[in-house]
Amino acid sequence: MPISEKVVISGYAETPVSRARTDKGEPRLSAEEYYAMALNMLLKQTGLDKKDLRGQGVGVAGAVWPHAEIWSAELVQNLGLEPKYLVRADHGGANCAALILSGMLAINSGYVDHFLVIGADAPMSVSGEGPRTWRYELDYLMPFGMMGPNSMIAMVMRRQMHLYKYGAETYGKISVTQREHASLNPNAYLRTPIKMDDYLASPMISDPVRLLDICIFVNGGLALLLSSKSSGRKITEKPVALRGFGSWHNPGSDESLQDVTVSGVVEASRQAYEMAGLKPSDIDFFNPYDDYTAAVIMQLEDAGFCPKGGAEKFLKETDISYRGQLPVNTGGGQLSAGQAGMVGGFHGFVEAVRQLRGEAGDRQVKDARYGMVTSLGGLAYGGCFINNYAFVLEGGI
Amino acid sequence: MAKPLPEITSLTRPLWEGAKRGELLLQRCRRCGKHQWYPRPSCHKCGSLDLEWVKSSGMGTVYSFTVIRRVVGNAPEFSSDIPFVVAEIDLDEGVRVYSNVVGVKPEEVSVGMRVRVFFEEAGPEISLFKFRPAT
Repeated sequence: MPISEKVVISGYAETPVSRARTDKGEPRLSAEEYYAMALNMLLKQTGLDKKDLRGQGVGVAGAVWPHAEIWSAELVQNLGLEPKYLVRADHGGANCAALILSGMLAINSGYVDHFLVIGADAPMSVSGEGPRTWRYELDYLMPFGMMGPNSMIAMVMRRQMHLYKYGAETYGKISVTQREHASLNPNAYLRTPIKMDDYLASPMISDPVRLLDICIFVNGGLALLLSSKSSGRKITEKPVALRGFGSWHNPGSDESLQDVTVSGVVEASRQAYEMAGLKPSDIDFFNPYDDYTAAVIMQLEDAGFCPKGGAEKFLKETDISYRGQLPVNTGGGQLSAGQAGMVGGFHGFVEAVRQLRGEAGDRQVKDARYGMVTSLGGLAYGGCFINNYAFVLEGGI
Repeated sequence: MAKPLPEITSLTRPLWEGAKRGELLLQRCRRCGKHQWYPRPSCHKCGSLDLEWVKSSGMGTVYSFTVIRRVVGNAPEFSSDIPFVVAEIDLDEGVRVYSNVVGVKPEEVSVGMRVRVFFEEAGPEISLFKFRPAT
């Protein structure tokens, strides 16, 4: 059946417009206020409740003054949307077309049933003192001396230590093991091996977060090519398959008091395992997103490698080096190999492909067939991460 | 470069005017009755635009906290405050607020500590809501 017979447009909304001429009585509103109005109007027109959009698709357009690097995440947080699939277009005049295309493909594939295409902007409010975006950081975090993500993850780490009685050494094991991996990766930025004492002696930045809990920013570029299976086989004898994947955004969207030690990787990895027909014990190595050691701990739990609260015991009993039962971030991860600015999480995917092609040199995981890569993005105000993904990659196909 | 201050917008003006009066205001949805923090144009629970400002009891519990020991990505003026505490505080109305916990040594702050709001003048139009141990 052609895609045109399978996807329809089922509602629409258009807010009143303004040039922010307050001298003429026109309203001067922010892009976020227009987003809220557009969503509210669409809900009224379609008769849908906001919870009907839970687990569906959302595509947002850019804005003239989005201060947030995580603009789509900020928007779903502001609007209280909890999508399975979240994309942002930066296609200028083709933003709407690009989002409709994404939505059609997502619906046609059966990944979602609804895909909300939404865009709002307020360029006439920007000049002068007009309302700006990323308000929760500017107004409600920075004035109190919050120091960006280091202090956001500190809240999560403190909570893990409080609830599950994790000691600093639990986080240190991640840092030390990934540095060992980096020492075997010619591409890694930090390659000098470290010991637990080095970790414990590293300076406190945002207590309980130490310097060696934090990824290191680097300049760099990474890329992957996706192809159809038949075309891919013409390019390489070692294609890597996307065996399963899952995603979730802004989990617990309507809860004000979330447990910050649980991420949406619980749901994303559940989807990925189900699609792949696999379970955690089938996975040969794990590359979780590692902006911080606390995030690695959380993903070990949330991707099902150990129970929630069981990471300290798991790490005492499990070798997570490339030689071990569950190798973790075999390239050194962003903690040691480096994160290329906002190119977050690319490192883990590229390293997984390298492993599954048997091209990881001295840190090669023996007989690696299935690798799991999980990604987190956008630490929420008072919550956990907004963007959550899980992929199971398969080599030797 | 001074310490950053919130910008007053049409949306947030009632909050900061309340703070000047010594009141911590929260948004509450007239449709579904849910409180929310931080202030937003619509209810994050039901999507309604019909929000009202209500006064918080100002009482809360420390959910988590960090002790800032290094200035990274914020104004250097915070250096003279180091070490200081920023906490996630669960207000009794059921919303989570970030703020400073002061009037107590950082090493004496703990998860579960009861705290009470007070207001500290930060500019002609802005008083910041901060917290002290409740006892």
